[in-house]
Parts: sequence; C-alpha cells; structure tokens
Amino acid sequence: MLSLEISSSCFNQETKLLAFEPSRKDMDEVEEKSKEVINVTTEKLPVDEVLQLVISPLCGAVSLFVGTTRNNFEGRKVISLEYEAYLPMAENEVKKICTVFHGLGLVPPSEASIISAVSSAHRAASLEAVSYAIDTLKAKLPIWQKEIYEESSSWKGNRVLWGIQQ
Amino acid sequence: MILYFAKSAEITGLRSETISVPQEIKALQLWKEIETRHPGLADVRNQIIFAVRQEYVELGDQLLLLQPGDEIAVIPPISGG
Repeated sequence: MLSLEISSSCFNQETKLLAFEPSRKDMDEVEEKSKEVINVTTEKLPVDEVLQLVISPLCGAVSLFVGTTRNNFEGRKVISLEYEAYLPMAENEVKKICTVFHGLGLVPPSEASIISAVSSAHRAASLEAVSYAIDTLKAKLPIWQKEIYEESSSWKGNRVLWGIQQ
Repeated sequence: MILYFAKSAEITGLRSETISVPQEIKALQLWKEIETRHPGLADVRNQIIFAVRQEYVELGDQLLLLQPGDEIAVIPPISGG
C-alpha cells in the first residue's frame, strides 16, 4: 500500500527549490487531505524534510533516491549543472507519481539535484516504487539539465521514448 | 502562446511569443509555422515534441483544436532527475 498521490507544490525564490509534496490518503482511502506549505530552506535540498513528509506510522518502509551532481561527464570537468523547468506542467506530471524535490538553477557537484521519496507498508513496494518513480520522472518531467564545463556548456537529453504516454 | 525552453529558447532567443494560427491545425503544420519564424529550429526538429495544454503531442498528423490563449510548449529532449 503506497501513500502517494495528490501533491501541492511550492517554489522558493531564494534557493530555487522546486518542491512537490504529496497529500496523504487514509489507509481506507476515503478522505484526501492536501496541504499547502511555504518552505523557507537553506541552499541544499533538504533530505530530512523530504523524509518527514513521507514518513507515516502506517508505513513500515521509506525508500529515498537522491540524485547528485557529478563533477565529470565524458572526460570533461563539469563546473555545475543548471536546471530549467516548465513549472505548471512539471507539477501536473509529478502529481501522478510521488514526493519529489528537484533543484532549479545552479546545482554544483556533490549537491543533490533531485530527491524522490516513497513510503509504503513494506519495503518491497517502496523500493520498487522509488525506482519506478525516478525512471518515470526522467522520462516525463519537463525539466532540462545544462552541463556547464570549463569552457562551454551543453543541454543534455535523456534517451527517452516519446511513445511512452500515460 | 508558444513557450520555449532550454535549447529551443537559446536558438530563438525567446522564452515565449504569441502567434496566430488556425483554430484547427495539425501538429506538424504548427511546427512548420514556428520553424518559418525561427529557421534555426530546423536543426532540432527531430528531437522536439510539443506540450499542448500541458499534454505531450508529437510533431505529426494529430489535429490540434486550439483556443485563444492556449499554451503550446516547445519541448527539447528532457533531462531532469
């Protein structure tokens, strides 16, 4: 049993943090509550905060995926990654999936660019779900990563099949 | 309203623009209309997909039914995550 679904989102100007939060469904899935939260955060993506959003006494497992900026790509030194997003559509796509925090703007090496978290009653579902979530997010979220090297930069494109439709 | 992102924004030098097209238009025709205004986009034609009212649409024969004010985003290959 997964506690995912409907999310609200907030955008923090200061740190360019894009946060999608799930609302919680009761175990018998009768009532859906959504919450609007304005986040004021430090510069880095808040792993603790993400965990607090998904942890629930009803769930015995939480799986977390954290994507961080790597300092090299194909032999070239990466100074930073820069993220750009089509925000309203990204929100709608994520609503179908799980809790995601994605960095926007500059994300230097070793910093987290994405945190995806899923909680469930037992670990198999949560591990599988977070893996599915990150794969699906990479294929569907309208977010772009620009690799900034020492002397140049280029927009990266994931190998995705556009034929994957909902 | 056409929205440009990432590489397509760099090529056109724009984040958005408003253009007038027939209310019923095929996706590929719309693309050709945009490419006429920004010939540099021909380089990325095979990698682009549209998002019409936030739903992905390929550059093919699909007929789009557009209303004034609809948002059409030019989506280069995504790379989030």
